[in-house]
Amino acid sequence: MQSPSDSPAAAGPNPFAKHKSRRELHEWLTRWILRAATYAVLVATAAIFIHIIVKGAPIVLSTQAPFVNTAFLTKLPETMHIIEDKQGKIYETDPKGSDVIKQQLGDNFRQEKTVSYSGGGILGPIVGTTLLVAVCMAVALFLGISAAIYLNEYSKHGRFIEMVRLAILNLAGVPSVVFGLFGLSAFVLGAPRLVDVPLERSLLVIPLGFTNLSFEGWDTSVLAGGFTLAFVILPVVITACEECLKAVPQGFRETSLALGATKWQTIWKSVLPFALPGILTSSILGIARAAGETAPIMFTAALAFKDKLPWQGNSGLMGTLTESVQALPYHIYTLAARIPQNEWSERAQYGSVFVFLVLVMSLAASSVLLRRKLRAKYKW
Amino acid sequence: MVTSPPIAASESSTAATVAPMRVEPAIISVDGMDFHYGEKQALHDITLQIPARQVTAFIGPSGCGKSTLLRCFNRINDRIHGAHISRGAICIKGKNIHDDDVDLTQLRNQVGMVFQKSNPFPKSIYENVVFGLRVHGVKKKSVLDEAVERCLRSAALWDELKDRLHDNALGLSGGQQQRLCIARSIASKPDILLMDEPCSALDPLATLKIEELITTLVKDYTVVMVTHNMQQARRVSDHTAFLYLGKLIEFAPTVEIFTNPREKQTDAYVRGQFS
Repeated sequence: MQSPSDSPAAAGPNPFAKHKSRRELHEWLTRWILRAATYAVLVATAAIFIHIIVKGAPIVLSTQAPFVNTAFLTKLPETMHIIEDKQGKIYETDPKGSDVIKQQLGDNFRQEKTVSYSGGGILGPIVGTTLLVAVCMAVALFLGISAAIYLNEYSKHGRFIEMVRLAILNLAGVPSVVFGLFGLSAFVLGAPRLVDVPLERSLLVIPLGFTNLSFEGWDTSVLAGGFTLAFVILPVVITACEECLKAVPQGFRETSLALGATKWQTIWKSVLPFALPGILTSSILGIARAAGETAPIMFTAALAFKDKLPWQGNSGLMGTLTESVQALPYHIYTLAARIPQNEWSERAQYGSVFVFLVLVMSLAASSVLLRRKLRAKYKW
Repeated sequence: MVTSPPIAASESSTAATVAPMRVEPAIISVDGMDFHYGEKQALHDITLQIPARQVTAFIGPSGCGKSTLLRCFNRINDRIHGAHISRGAICIKGKNIHDDDVDLTQLRNQVGMVFQKSNPFPKSIYENVVFGLRVHGVKKKSVLDEAVERCLRSAALWDELKDRLHDNALGLSGGQQQRLCIARSIASKPDILLMDEPCSALDPLATLKIEELITTLVKDYTVVMVTHNMQQARRVSDHTAFLYLGKLIEFAPTVEIFTNPREKQTDAYVRGQFS
């Protein structure tokens, strides 16, 4: 930059001139290392998304009218039959279709192979995951918010409560497969239920007169899986809730109490409404994480294959919730674990992953929208 | 100003020999109270009688315990872990407020409080005023409507706000917010109104309005206020208590405290020699 010639500053040397030193290099280097690290993360994330979209979108979406592959979203998984004729032409079909095609081909038939779970659609896993998430959300929000309110509003500070907090934090570090095993013994085999005739393996039977309360578990079921998933994310939910409760100004509580409200009235009317946006956002993000967990539901809720939806052959909500289901993450695992991989199983796999990604992202988006709406209502 | 009390606001310092001043009728009487925050003692041997339907001000340097004392009167200190009275008692309307058969919500219904920071709930003006009634189960709309008008009139807000009762209270100015808080605290028709530095966050004009409000409120309510501002105590209060380091140094009619204090420390403080 040229300074005007009549400027007085032009006369002397620049008092603010840069000192030439290694410091400059350091600054430059640090800045670029940080920048490169950030971009590396960005590139990795983008790569994952692009990979899934490129491979999954063509299976789920279509270029024609409804723009989605409705069969993929509305059919249950089934075994895919691949029939090849002598000209090398390949027919993809379901078990029923395979006989028809074989008959049509007659002598032209060369070979048939089957790829399990890769045909049909993924309605079963979608329904299963939805149910699991619903149960998980109900249980985790109720237990998590209750515990956080107790810890933050009621409990007296002391060694015991500190230990409880520490235990909750430690719970967050427990591997999810351990939660799976815990769920197996606690909910699948040990939880109490009302039955007229208890099983032989029941841990404890309490006669209630008209029926028995038997600790024989809920079997492999949506209920057991949902509870297990809830316990996986409870530490996250509790910690997030506590932070949100702490963020509500103490003044609201004091004012409310000073106006003669009871403790619970104070919490219900003057604390919870203002903590709720944050609680819901962080909890829903936690639940989206839980939706993707495979290990906790492997032993407690999910089957590799099931030929009916949970409400078929069942009546009522409890009937549905005590059924085992297929779940998206476990379905993806089942497909991916098939060796050797082939183009048909891979197709079903990426289709599932794509659908799953869309579901999780819409869950996250809904949490953001919900927060916006609540924030506008309860702003302080 | 001071009518019923037997003590005339005389300039004579002969009263100095008399032990704690007695004022009749006392609506709040504190008797030899020690107060602790956990291990730390915050108030030492406080004894005083606060007269009904008058303004009593607590003055003193920061940390002297004046807010703590005020917050004892509606037991809002109870929510602070480890805070407790270790000796003595507080009687309000002749009842020891720490007795087992005292219901805190009833106590606080009759001993209202206004805080330093105006903190209306982020709800409508209407809902703010009726909060205290709602938590006590009042549901009838006519009763609530009547209370809103009465309280806002008492707080000199009705004319300003009557057309926007359902607007969010956070849209009000600082002074209006604080007057709304006062309106909110008198909705349950308390006998006593505690004010913890009600003007410390307000500009001079808003302060003036609150002070005017206090002088009209005292016709119906007993006002006990904590203030940092000695001039304010002088302007609005009938009696002034000077606290220092957790001890009650002097409690006397305001005129006496400011013109002819008995204690040297009071004298030094009101003349601004320390704060």
